[in-house]
Amino acid sequence: MAPDNEHDPKEKRSHYPLDPDSYQILHEIGRGCSAIVYKALCTTTSTVVAIKSIDLDKSATGDFDNIRREAKTMSLLSHPNVLKAHCSFTVGRCLWVVMPFMSAGSLQSIMSSSFPNGISEKCIATILKETLMGLCYLHDQGHLHRDIKAGNILMDSNGSVKLADFGVSASVYESSSRCVNLNEMTGTPFWMAPEVIHSYNGYSYKADIWSFGITALELAHGRPPLSHLPFSESLAMKIARGLRFSEYQKEEEKGAKKLKLSKYFKEMVGLCLDQDPSKRPTAEKLLKHYFFKNCKGCDFLVKNLLHGLPSVECRFKEATIQRSESMSDEDECLVGKKHRRISGWNFSLDSSSHPVKQITVAAESVIASANEGELGGDVVPTCVDNTVVIESLMKLKRSLDDQREKVMYMLAVLGTQEMNKEENLMQVIERLRSELESEKRKRTNLELELEFLKLNITNTSHV
Amino acid sequence: MLCLSSIGKTSCSSAMSTKKHRTPTEVVQKTRSLLLYSKNSLDVGSQMTELGSLIRELKLILYGDDDSEPSAEACATLTVEFFKEDTLRLLIIFLPKLNLEARKDATQVVASLQRQPLPSRFEASRYLEANLDLLDILISGYEDPQLALHYGRMLKECLRHQIVASYLLEPSQLKKLFGYIQHPSFDIAADAADAFKDLLTRHKSTVSESLSKNYCWFFTEMNEKLLKSENYITRRQAVKLLGCILLDRSNCSVMTQYVSSKDNLIILMNLLRDQSKSIQIDAFHVFKLFVANENKPPEIVSILVTNKSKILRLLSAFVYTDDEVFETDKIEVVNKLAVLELQD
Repeated sequence: MAPDNEHDPKEKRSHYPLDPDSYQILHEIGRGCSAIVYKALCTTTSTVVAIKSIDLDKSATGDFDNIRREAKTMSLLSHPNVLKAHCSFTVGRCLWVVMPFMSAGSLQSIMSSSFPNGISEKCIATILKETLMGLCYLHDQGHLHRDIKAGNILMDSNGSVKLADFGVSASVYESSSRCVNLNEMTGTPFWMAPEVIHSYNGYSYKADIWSFGITALELAHGRPPLSHLPFSESLAMKIARGLRFSEYQKEEEKGAKKLKLSKYFKEMVGLCLDQDPSKRPTAEKLLKHYFFKNCKGCDFLVKNLLHGLPSVECRFKEATIQRSESMSDEDECLVGKKHRRISGWNFSLDSSSHPVKQITVAAESVIASANEGELGGDVVPTCVDNTVVIESLMKLKRSLDDQREKVMYMLAVLGTQEMNKEENLMQVIERLRSELESEKRKRTNLELELEFLKLNITNTSHV
Repeated sequence: MLCLSSIGKTSCSSAMSTKKHRTPTEVVQKTRSLLLYSKNSLDVGSQMTELGSLIRELKLILYGDDDSEPSAEACATLTVEFFKEDTLRLLIIFLPKLNLEARKDATQVVASLQRQPLPSRFEASRYLEANLDLLDILISGYEDPQLALHYGRMLKECLRHQIVASYLLEPSQLKKLFGYIQHPSFDIAADAADAFKDLLTRHKSTVSESLSKNYCWFFTEMNEKLLKSENYITRRQAVKLLGCILLDRSNCSVMTQYVSSKDNLIILMNLLRDQSKSIQIDAFHVFKLFVANENKPPEIVSILVTNKSKILRLLSAFVYTDDEVFETDKIEVVNKLAVLELQD
């Protein structure tokens, strides 16, 4: 268990400076689509911290409000098993969230580095118990986690376990962070509860319990169940007949390895993976399950799990090297990123003279580049290789098409044929509407171009 | 702490069952006398636990628990008793001495008291009207990172009452908020910006009256301190808020005045070419008002005409198709600009 001073908010919070110059960035330890995590040294307190840097401009208004809300939530949480923020402040367009540095990294990263086939049940019990206490606290405070998985359970070198990353943008505290893997961006489907996928009654505390059960299996096997199938099939299976634990076991046993999991473990996971959310236990109740009796302490984890593990930085570096080929021109992009902006307005009011003349210099450069035909979407620098992105997008598209087909098929099987006509019509309407939209857009662009040309003509005739 | 919080619910419900005979009135009275006692006592440690559980009991009455919904009758009696004497003041003043969980509970209690249905809500409003200085305490909470989010939440809930809004819309009070919005700590700045937004959008007639009265002062502050700020987040929040204020129908006359000023146009046009796409979009929603204005002063026309081609080009590069309002507005602005000519 974490030492007592760990969660005295009064002590900790005020210590950390709200100024980037007081932090010395040491290494990058994680990367997501709109955020990067660094290991850093806080020079005024001489403590090592983790800093998550979130690009606020990449987040839409809705996300921005979420980030603001979550930042507030995070600073009001205080529990030894929940990762809290020391402080947060903006640096340019980025939000820096300063957090305790968890030197052993996430369990996902620990597994992929040293335990590819899962970790021992005794370790699992301890880890999950600590995690569950954190989850209990969150639920008691009225918060949902929404993304429980091994990648969001962090460990420190002293064996303490903390639940991290609720809501605040993408989860990035993972050594094998996959920025280019767009499948990852669609959420973390393998952990999702069926009712979340159906989403007819939204997300509840019980969906966290489902994810908790999946996480238990993930820890035991080194990967979430059904993850050897493409996501669409995992989804199809979940919807069609639910992920019944017994079937899942059968399937696993057919495979090469046969795991010896205790009956308490199976029973505990079985409770979490009940199709009916109302039948799943609450976090509080689950904590009383026999599986969590007689758990070992944190020292046990230090000895049996963390011993001899490469450091988080090393693991991240290794993972980075593996994907370095596709990202090789990234640095170049970052340095050479261009903001093609309007060069400046002309606010001088003696416009009785020639307004056109005053702006010609800027306009010329603009026209020159406009001729290259790249007027739209020029501000966002691309950090990744286009072909990789396109490939992932195509993969995603195929998977989506596939899913859609499966869902249609299932709907048909379930006897909703009467609906089909109406649905077909709706689809046609939808298609026509999008066609109309694109026509409208084209028209606007043409109008603009016309306007632009007209102006050019008048300008030249003036001169 | 760990044990307290993870089994908080169970310990509480068992506490409830042994103390079930206590009526809401009694809980409030007990809390009040304990607060009074602790205020004068040097050793507060011993009372903390009891005070914490009393506040949680108040919260459970107001919010209910897993098994039961709150009873309207109990809430009403609690509210009446609470505001009969100076309990709110005691609780606010005592908050810094409470532990984190008790602070959160206390904040929720105060929040709920402002949201009670009408006859009870009047109690809260009447109490605050007689104790407006409490708002000074709440607003100054933004200076203390330990209290900011608790007092800030209470402040926002109190803003539900018109009387509170009209007190806080005074320049002297607004000035403080202008400062807190620029606080270096992100969560404090964001919370203050939230309160600021609530204050300037909730009670429409009060707001428009105050803005008309303090027009010059308010918009100079807004322009100079927020919109021209070096800080990205300050600019982003400010331009969004400006849009909210000016686009509100009840602020029509203020809007007309705002869009007739050359200086304001210059600020907005600069924001239109901000490095940040989000700021550009929000700036556009204010900029369009200058273009749409039917009685543009000559200097505005002149600036718009002078920069016409650049503006058109900038707008054509704005692609933001998820937002239909934006796209239609864009076309309208483009059309209006295209026919705009210098008046001699």
